[in-house]
Amino acid sequence: MDALLSLSNDLAAAVERVRGAVVAVNARPRLPSTGVHWRPGIIVTADHTVRSDEDITIIAPDGRTVAASLVARDPGTDLAVLRVHDTDLPLADLGDPGSLKVGHIVLAVGHGPRVSWGVVSALGGRWRTWRGGEIDQLMRLDLTLYPGFSGGPLVDVKGRVVGINTSGLSRQLELAIPVSTVTRVADELIDKGHVSRGFLGVGLQPARLPEAFRRRLTGASEIGLLVVNVQPDGPAAKAGVLLGDVLVALDGAPVGATEDVQAVVGARRAGSTVTATILRAGAPAEVSMTVGERPSRRR
Amino acid sequence: MPGHSETHDTRPPAIDGDLTAVTERLRRITVQVHGSSGGTGSGVIWISNGLIVTNAHVARDTAAVVLPGGRAIEARGLAWDPEYDLAALALDAEGLSAADVGDSDRLRVGDLVVAVGSPFGLVGAVTAGVIHAIGPRRTAGSSFIRADLRLAPGNSGGPLADARGRVIGINAMIVGGLALAVPSNVVARFLAPLRYGAATVS
Repeated sequence: MDALLSLSNDLAAAVERVRGAVVAVNARPRLPSTGVHWRPGIIVTADHTVRSDEDITIIAPDGRTVAASLVARDPGTDLAVLRVHDTDLPLADLGDPGSLKVGHIVLAVGHGPRVSWGVVSALGGRWRTWRGGEIDQLMRLDLTLYPGFSGGPLVDVKGRVVGINTSGLSRQLELAIPVSTVTRVADELIDKGHVSRGFLGVGLQPARLPEAFRRRLTGASEIGLLVVNVQPDGPAAKAGVLLGDVLVALDGAPVGATEDVQAVVGARRAGSTVTATILRAGAPAEVSMTVGERPSRRR
Repeated sequence: MPGHSETHDTRPPAIDGDLTAVTERLRRITVQVHGSSGGTGSGVIWISNGLIVTNAHVARDTAAVVLPGGRAIEARGLAWDPEYDLAALALDAEGLSAADVGDSDRLRVGDLVVAVGSPFGLVGAVTAGVIHAIGPRRTAGSSFIRADLRLAPGNSGGPLADARGRVIGINAMIVGGLALAVPSNVVARFLAPLRYGAATVS
């Protein structure tokens, strides 16, 4: 029984290794969620489990209740960052998600600790959440995320954290947010208080392109995006974009839906340049725009 | 390629072989129990001369027990405990394969566990999972074991075993998708007053 026994020992050791960095987060009525001690004094959890901005507490693995303050949140990636003072909790061991393969055995850890096991069901590329956040890699899991597991770590058989579990980004799938995304978002939330998303300052509406125009634009999709609003002094306005222009491509890639524009621009840093192909009065033209930063929405 | 013989390793990976061995071992100590009051489930041969442990909600007085070989035999109730949903049954038999009982107090969160039972009448079905949580402990070992493992109603009274195949619990219920099992140490305390083959009930 050596192989089975050694797997059992590895799984128990993995839980033991991570449990010190796993806390309960009390930021909503009744059901505490889970958080991970990510950087000294910084707890990362799932944004959708943080209902209140104040009177947040965490429960350390030894049972002590400690006050925590909300640093910032990013609903787009469903991550929130809390700060705790005077913590002697160990930090989570962050693994390299690049080493994770489909079929690997993983554990989801909730506060307590409580665990469920399963396998990495599918891995994919970069994707955009329904809330508009950018996630570096799709990590789909075949395991049960029990109530209160959101915000807790996904760990490999060595007990290294490879992601943060959440049920807030999909109703159907059990998903984890990879370490690289969590670190990027947490650092940005700590530095700036929000996650910057590139922005052009235009309102767009899909419009079918007449056949005659399409023949002149090789590679354009059947649909263009009609500019129906230009924000004064926004990046598009500064570049000379006018009401009634039709956006057909960004950096040479056709755009047939507003999501296509968000995918290109949202991922850009403010200050970078994007070249738009537009139809103005029936003639194609190229406009170079400097991507701006989307103003943060104050709640 | 001529002159080159490729060697195909046809043995199953070690872990599969281990899981098969544990399953076979558990099937030899797991019985089907049909209680006289209509309950049906599984049971564990605790002692080779016919002491069966099951859930009280499966059977607590007389029951028809189907041994692993398929032989049906009448059993009589010896004792039952409503708090832990346990029942002890006795049947006239000798030399049965009996459970190798583990120490439930030594379980750790994440430990691999295996259950065998007869969910929906499928005899000897196996499911595997891990220990979900330990405690909260009122007194040592007194709370149910919670496992992230798929159970079905026919698993009631059947064994939950560790990676060595030692029985560490009696599956009792499903709560919120989790398997709840009575720890083997609680079973031992329940059986102790019966003095049934006192040498082996410890």
